[in-house]
Amino acid sequence: MSRGRSAPHGFPTANVRYMATPGTREELTSAVDYEGAQVPVREDLRDAHRFLLDHIRSPGTWWTGGERVAIAAEARGAARCALCRERRKSLSPGAVQGRHDGPHTLPENVVDAVHRIRSDPARLSRSWFDGVIAGGLAVTRYVELVSVTSLMAGLDYFARALGVEPLPLRTPLPGEPSRHRPAGAREGGAWVPMIDPADAAGPEADLYGSSDFVPNIVRALSLVPDEVRVLRRSTEAHYVPVPQIPDPTYHRALARPQMELIAARVSALNQCFY
Amino acid sequence: MLRASGQMAGQAVDLTAVTEAAAGDAGVEHGGRLLAFTDAAMGEDDARLDRERRALWAVLSPEAFVDACALVGAFNVVDRIADAIGIPLDPMLHAASGDVRAELGLARFGSAANTPQAG
Repeated sequence: MSRGRSAPHGFPTANVRYMATPGTREELTSAVDYEGAQVPVREDLRDAHRFLLDHIRSPGTWWTGGERVAIAAEARGAARCALCRERRKSLSPGAVQGRHDGPHTLPENVVDAVHRIRSDPARLSRSWFDGVIAGGLAVTRYVELVSVTSLMAGLDYFARALGVEPLPLRTPLPGEPSRHRPAGAREGGAWVPMIDPADAAGPEADLYGSSDFVPNIVRALSLVPDEVRVLRRSTEAHYVPVPQIPDPTYHRALARPQMELIAARVSALNQCFY
Repeated sequence: MLRASGQMAGQAVDLTAVTEAAAGDAGVEHGGRLLAFTDAAMGEDDARLDRERRALWAVLSPEAFVDACALVGAFNVVDRIADAIGIPLDPMLHAASGDVRAELGLARFGSAANTPQAG
């Protein structure tokens, strides 16, 4: 059986535009060490977490760094939000009204979307999504919000499982969003436009690598291409590189059936059909 | 992938363990411990999580334990992205997983509505 770290990845290195380059301030970001952990955390995972924290605090495609950190803070707070807790108990989440716990530096419709995605993802629906967009949130901003919220959930569940405090959010970096909308993104299939592999050209030519099969989960965030690149890197560090996902012999220190058992259980508890 | 990886490893994986609260080891080495730890990490009972974490440490290497934590994180990311973007199950995966979906009753999940004819 192949060992994960020695197998070829098949994807080029994720090329996110603000990624650290020699001489930039991102180089100065302090390392993630998880010094409180009872077991050592492998270096590639610590590097990935530092990268994710930097990604979150950087100007994105449609949100500023400050807004992205505020989204991340709301996502973190949603785990302890009293309104979210009451809504999870309710037969219909929309039946429980109130105000979410948290700093509320973002508009209420944004805060509500973040809390719903973080705390009750199983009951998101097309009608809920349509309401969010009808309420004034641009679909591009929604996709980026989904990414930041979900990445924060991953970081925080990792810390909880490991038995350490969640990583502190970093100070936002200045700068304006790029506002890059990919020409190849089209409606069809999901609630939001996505880029078909055949349309991944120009600035998006690297997006899916050379894989023959690009699953919808890889395409999901492609209306905001940088978020696809970040998800790819996150997936590689936490699970396996995307091209190796279909290879049932590819594994890490855990055997692949052990890995898939955890993955399946998490998804079952989240009631995720995909 | 659980079924396929089990087959490649020569293990008869019990897929129903994925959705049953009181499952055994699912035919996977230390499967019972892995499931109990995952349940605890996904829940809110800190004392239970501490017990399950220690129980898992007793049977796994430190590297494998960190992998388990990373997987809990990873699938909390992709599950949210899948459900918040409303992506359907890919046709190829849909065709290959019909028996598993039926066995586990996955059509009862709300996000099944994102996949046409998600039986």
